[in-house]
Amino acid sequence: MGRGYIVENMVEKYLSSLQAPDSTGTSCVTGLLIGQSTSQRDLVALAVRTPQRNTDGQGSPSINRRAWISLDHLDVEWVTEHARQVSRMLPGGLSILGVFLVTVPELSKEAQNILRQLIFAVDKHISKGRLWSLTNEDVTEKVALHICTETRKTVCRTFDIRDPKSSAKPADWKYQLGVCTSWQVLTCSVGLDLLIPVLDMRVLPQDMEKCMKEGLKIWAKQIEVGLCLINGKILADETEIVAGQKKNAKPVQQTFQAQILIPMAEPPSVQTSTVLVKMCSGSLSLKGMVHCRAYLQSNKSRVKDAAKVIKRDIINTVSSRVEMFLEDLLMEGVDNGSVEQVLPRRVFASLPGMTLCVCDYMFPDECLSDVSDRLKELLDWDMPEDSIDTSQEAIIVLRKNIPIKSDMLKSNGLFPSIDTID
Amino acid sequence: MENREQIICQLNTTNEPHIQKVISRTFEDLCSQVKSESLVLSVCNSPVFIWPNKGGRATPECLTPNSPCKDLQQFIQTDDQESMKSKKKEKTNASAVVINLNLMTEVTEPADLSATTLMRCSTKHHFLYTAMPMDCVVSLPSSERLSVVYDALVVALCSQLDEMKKVMLRHMKGMTLLIPQPFHFLLPDPVGLVTVVYPAGVPDSQLEIQRKELHSRFELPGNRPYLRRANSLHFPDEPYKDGYLRNPHLHLKPPTLGNGKLYLVQGVYSYHHYMQDRVDDNGWGCAYRSLQTICSWFQQQGYTEKAVPTHKEIQQALVDVGDKQGSFVGSRQWIGSIEVAAVLDQLLGVTSKIMFVSQGSELASKGRELANHFLSEGTPVMIGGGVLAHTILGVAWSETTGEIRYLILDPHYTGAEDLQVITDKGWCGWKSPQFWDQNAYYNLCLPQRPKTI
Repeated sequence: MGRGYIVENMVEKYLSSLQAPDSTGTSCVTGLLIGQSTSQRDLVALAVRTPQRNTDGQGSPSINRRAWISLDHLDVEWVTEHARQVSRMLPGGLSILGVFLVTVPELSKEAQNILRQLIFAVDKHISKGRLWSLTNEDVTEKVALHICTETRKTVCRTFDIRDPKSSAKPADWKYQLGVCTSWQVLTCSVGLDLLIPVLDMRVLPQDMEKCMKEGLKIWAKQIEVGLCLINGKILADETEIVAGQKKNAKPVQQTFQAQILIPMAEPPSVQTSTVLVKMCSGSLSLKGMVHCRAYLQSNKSRVKDAAKVIKRDIINTVSSRVEMFLEDLLMEGVDNGSVEQVLPRRVFASLPGMTLCVCDYMFPDECLSDVSDRLKELLDWDMPEDSIDTSQEAIIVLRKNIPIKSDMLKSNGLFPSIDTID
Repeated sequence: MENREQIICQLNTTNEPHIQKVISRTFEDLCSQVKSESLVLSVCNSPVFIWPNKGGRATPECLTPNSPCKDLQQFIQTDDQESMKSKKKEKTNASAVVINLNLMTEVTEPADLSATTLMRCSTKHHFLYTAMPMDCVVSLPSSERLSVVYDALVVALCSQLDEMKKVMLRHMKGMTLLIPQPFHFLLPDPVGLVTVVYPAGVPDSQLEIQRKELHSRFELPGNRPYLRRANSLHFPDEPYKDGYLRNPHLHLKPPTLGNGKLYLVQGVYSYHHYMQDRVDDNGWGCAYRSLQTICSWFQQQGYTEKAVPTHKEIQQALVDVGDKQGSFVGSRQWIGSIEVAAVLDQLLGVTSKIMFVSQGSELASKGRELANHFLSEGTPVMIGGGVLAHTILGVAWSETTGEIRYLILDPHYTGAEDLQVITDKGWCGWKSPQFWDQNAYYNLCLPQRPKTI
């Protein structure tokens, strides 16, 4: 019995609009399939084609771009890089479930090999830098969908990414209306106050990424093992988060507040009588508040599923924006010594007709049209600027507790330059 | 209620003269963490979580700030073993209930709603890091409202942080900072429960000045220890890590004599007997074990920091004072009361009185002396005679009738640390004067408390 993917109706429309050869002459179209896979069901919410490359290379890290004529020159790196950037835009619970490939009939035979190659490459690339670990309950199968442009026949298979030598298993692909209208939403805001010393012969700025990563790993571990309360209650892992449901009740979308508790400190592994003193060549300090969101497809979701998806979103959003900041810094190439800089802030955009949002990160010098452009390029989605929600995270840095509400700062145009109020 | 947890204190300092300021500031930060809305108290072994700085909000919700604190007990899940035992024996509900709490922080309750920033600092400096071992105790009647309890706990945590800061600064030497450790003491009424912070790594012998200050503050007598680390309160729910039984005599029903009174050992001792510590001293080690019991008393009352001596260490001490030849060490030779007194003097600086009876039957007339000993010194007594050595832990004596019973701790027991067996079979038990060999002569060693704090 293979997996059965239930796919949002709109995805069918989208996929049928993709033609090969397309306007640039490429004979196949690749793309990503986004949704949520659990042991009970696999739901696909969105399909996104790999963007075509501009010759002037705007908006994405530059990769050596070659002309894409036949499958021989399929730019796997480009596909995986797109996947990595898209996965940053997915809140908790949503992930890249697999890859699709639309080809002319002549290339149908090679398609399976290509899909296999893409599936493993995409998974490898997006799991780099991941600070949380997969559990036994995570589904490790990814979907590979092939569509022939002439017959419009779809062939759906899955690969288990734990085993690169495994063969594809057949899977079902079924379209349905209203797949994404009643997912459960979990939200929370997390305060950060991390101090990461630069120890052991490391030096800033060269070792900044390494130090950040190690420091974040420790913090991520604390979050992973932290206690999770749903709507103010601590419940057993196997309890359903939507309490008191009638059998076969119509699923309704609900929002749940998540709270994460961690011990105030861990006892030291070695008891000493003196405070540990180390020489360090610098330090990194991460402070502020991040807004987190996660989705669960089923109204029968359990507390442990909820805890898992929101914790992963917490960890992902912090590590993503730090990564993006460091990538940006690398491009700039200038180090200003001791300095405090604002990390990109998270904004949300609701997918029309669904309860699901995607997110993006705005650098301080960007404006809404930049976000809108990115959503178009990476997700192939036209998002009007006024439907982008920027109210969840603050723009400015507050010191000495001058209270300023973040929604007071909401505006849809230009943003003030960042001031740190001392 | 007892509160046991640690806080991470991260200090970032550039040069020595500034350390004091930075440390003070760090403790202020810790104090504001304790007062912040993100502080969560978690009741051990229960699903209860409390936000003391958010109006006493708790989960489960039926625990309101106005609920009496005894309501917490119903949520606490005890060990299966313990609840079985309490079904068998009568429930004596007079003792205090201990509720343990852990400190947690809610990361989803951000104090600072700012945009996330990354600050990079490239200057060389010292990084100091430790976890502060916070341990606060608050003692309240079980009918007291939870809101009062929460306030008391937060106040206790803040004042402990302040104490810890003072101790840390007082004992600071350059970049060496000692970790402050809290100890709880149950002092005689009206003082009651008190927590003192001592610097780790500084032995009791070097903290006499602090103790003198505290003795005078609490109006404690200046000739016996109350505030040494060994005197610290042992909570009823904590097991002893070394595995020895403490005060098994407390589980016995004392004899009732007409007009009789009980005169018992004061404080805490450990039961030492044959075959313990993988030493097979069956048949020859009884006096050594009695001596170990006495040493354990001096250690637990804070008169010495030395561990209870092994058989070899006892023998070596006798060689060192010239009482025995070198070949004595490692042998299976018996010792008597005189040797016990000599070892107590050599190893612990404790002097002893020796009592001699020429016949066992005379022991029945020693009631007054033994009673006085337990009243003024309260130390366990080693008695040797015939071929046996025992420990006397107390007497039940009637001044009018002269009737006497002896509370005996028998070192000849070879079994495991099973309280039930030890009390049922009389290895720790009340004995009549017929217990003694009526014709043998006996020597008793009565250790005297050193006059020190």
